[in-house]
Amino acid sequence: SLLLLLVSNLLLWQSVTPLPVCPGGAVRCQVTLRDLFDRAVVLSHYIHNLSSEMFSEFDKRYTQGRGFISKALNSCHTSSLATPEDKEQAQQISQKDFLSLIVSILRSWNEPLYHLVTEVRGMQEAPEAILSKAIEIEEQSKRLLEGMELILSQVHPETRENAVYSVWSGLPSLQMADEESRLFAYYNLLHCLRRDSHKIDNYLKLLKCRIVHDNNC
Amino acid sequence: MKENVASATVFTLLLFFNTCLLNGQSPPGKPEIFKCRSPNKETFTCWWRPGADGGLPTNYSLAYHKEGEKFIHECPDYVTGGPNSCHFGKQYTSMWRTYIITVNATNEMGSTLSDEIYVDVTYIVEPDPPLNVVVEVKQPEDKKPYLWIKWSPPTLIDLKTGWFTLLYEIQLKPENAEEWETHFAGQQTDFKVLSLHPGQKYLVQVRCKPDHGYWSSWSPGYSIQIPSEFTMKDTTMWISVAVLSAVICLIIVWAVALKGYSMATCIFPPVPGPKIKGFDAHLLEKGKSEELLSALGCQDFPPTSDYEDLLVEYLEVDDSEDQHLMSVHSKEHPSQGMKPTYLDPDTDSGRGSCDSPSLLSEKCEEPQASPSTFCAPEVIEKPENPETTHTWDPQCRSMEGKTPCFHAGGSKCSTWPLPQPSQHNPRSSYHNIGDVCELAVRPTGAPATLLDKAGKDALKSSQISKPREEGKAAQQREVESFHSKTDKDTHWLLPQEKTPFGSTKPVDYVEIHKVNKDGALSLLPKQGNNSNQPEKPRDPENSKEYAKVSRVMDNNILVLVPDLHTKNVACSEESAKEAPPSLEQNQAEKGLADFPATPSNCRLQLGGLEYLDPACFTHSFH
Repeated sequence: SLLLLLVSNLLLWQSVTPLPVCPGGAVRCQVTLRDLFDRAVVLSHYIHNLSSEMFSEFDKRYTQGRGFISKALNSCHTSSLATPEDKEQAQQISQKDFLSLIVSILRSWNEPLYHLVTEVRGMQEAPEAILSKAIEIEEQSKRLLEGMELILSQVHPETRENAVYSVWSGLPSLQMADEESRLFAYYNLLHCLRRDSHKIDNYLKLLKCRIVHDNNC
Repeated sequence: MKENVASATVFTLLLFFNTCLLNGQSPPGKPEIFKCRSPNKETFTCWWRPGADGGLPTNYSLAYHKEGEKFIHECPDYVTGGPNSCHFGKQYTSMWRTYIITVNATNEMGSTLSDEIYVDVTYIVEPDPPLNVVVEVKQPEDKKPYLWIKWSPPTLIDLKTGWFTLLYEIQLKPENAEEWETHFAGQQTDFKVLSLHPGQKYLVQVRCKPDHGYWSSWSPGYSIQIPSEFTMKDTTMWISVAVLSAVICLIIVWAVALKGYSMATCIFPPVPGPKIKGFDAHLLEKGKSEELLSALGCQDFPPTSDYEDLLVEYLEVDDSEDQHLMSVHSKEHPSQGMKPTYLDPDTDSGRGSCDSPSLLSEKCEEPQASPSTFCAPEVIEKPENPETTHTWDPQCRSMEGKTPCFHAGGSKCSTWPLPQPSQHNPRSSYHNIGDVCELAVRPTGAPATLLDKAGKDALKSSQISKPREEGKAAQQREVESFHSKTDKDTHWLLPQEKTPFGSTKPVDYVEIHKVNKDGALSLLPKQGNNSNQPEKPRDPENSKEYAKVSRVMDNNILVLVPDLHTKNVACSEESAKEAPPSLEQNQAEKGLADFPATPSNCRLQLGGLEYLDPACFTHSFH
């Protein structure tokens, strides 16, 4: 009977252990994490698609041919965050740091997204397509943030609430009287949003394969 | 002097420039970077288009710097990407960062810088097409076939770590179709296509795209032939089944047509006729009537006191010889020597030489007699000598072959031979042994006398035979035993109905004298028109009406037909006749003549070939 107990314990442990990131215990955690990551990836993918469309529409309509791209260099407020820029760098970041980083980026965009919506909505002849996308991005980003914080709490429960994020101070630029300056401010904002949403999406897909599938997607 | 030198220098320079211009040499034109692509987010390549080379060899150099950096780098690799390209390897590739790239064209005359391009690797991702596209036609049991398409991702793309995510798309079309059928396959590397046109040749292509980026080009087309037999199989099978069934049906019909009669006989065996026990057919063939009759035990003539009146005629028609068998149909036609061809030239026949009327009944007894057999005693009447004893010739003659006894379905007693001389070929009438209780057919349609089914006892008791020496008028009793088969019946009827062979003696009828307890009928010859009839001068109008038995149905029901001579068939009254109450129905019918006259009741029921109401008879009997 002792042998039976031993064997059954071993079997139970085996079913539990595939993910070391579930200290909360067993099967329920494993399943939940997978679902959380699946959901997160869906959101991040969706947000980037929206951001990319929004940028393309804005550029096509307002700033085509102005050469803003040459000016929108190194102008994103989140550039201060040390984010990996290739696969090797990404693989060197720990799981925990990676998750924290993602959360930081998401947090950094809370305020800009909020103002973006406000400002676009207040525009005369507000572009409806851009506005609707901005609204959607803001809402989905909040959900994604919540999901990431949940994942973080499950994977690394000991992590204190992460306060690191980049502050955005581009609001005055959005309200500038000079049209070109204002347009550039929007252009820059949307350009950065497109980039950062792509980052988040790529990072999450990396983490999902790393955490849920053990680098075997 | 100095002025001269200066002007000379200027002049020389001008000349030099002019010379150059005249030669067509110039600095290179401005190159243009037209495309940058990254297949895997780990490397990327840029291509430029050179401008006019100015007629001089031109070198191109690419310089770049990254966003946020100030240091300008030169292209690390001009080769990998082909001519006029710059390939950035892994260590030179950064995501989420803008590259500022320029190309410098240089020749002897000068150099020209291209416009700067701003490239973010994030947005120039375009993978290679998928590899190893394999298409198979799968045919599961009882299901429609489908295409199973498999492929593998292009090389150098890292999917395992999740760095790169690929989405696939398939397009296929029948070979001659114009439009492609597109299917999105997601991230899976196989796909099933279910809507196929059988018998067609399909082209299949696959392409892929990153989660965010450009579609690859299509893979090389893969041709596959969908077998056409998948859907044709059912059709072919059903066609062959139908053809086979039709052939089988035709064979069956043909077989039935050919052997219809024999098969019908097999299925519906004919009602057996009477058999005479102890009757040796072979003896009859040999003509040894004495032995034959002795075998039957016909020793003596039965008492004929009752039958003195009976004059039974027996007409045998024998075409083979002289008047062996003479028609004794009626005394007024004594010269008629028509012989049924079918009859054996039996010495006894028609002569009454078998002077033992009782022989007949014994002869007609046969061991194989089926219950329904009945003996048809043949009354042989000497045609030419009415004075001779009219013996009850128990000979059973065979109509066909030489079997003396013939009966339905077996060896049974024969019926009365047809007295009809130039009668139809009886063989034509009887193609079945069982049917051969044939009787003489009168041209006028002789009535069919009734046969006693009871057997020899009945025969004995109901012997019609009367001694010929009694000189009875030619009377003929025709007994037909009929098959239960209607076809035979009708066939038999025909000769009876239509007798084209000239007229013969009119067929007389036999009255049923009485019916004994066994149901045997004792018949009295009907008094015909012959005034010589000793008994009961018959008036066709007043005499009893007789019915002709057209056929015997099963259950021993006799089907009577109205005699053509007699106007109608009535339930004539016969004082001398009585029927036992236990008479069977058929016998009741037989004994129609015995009935007390209930003409109206019975007559109504007898129009042509109609059945007699047994109730009528029963009533009559009682």
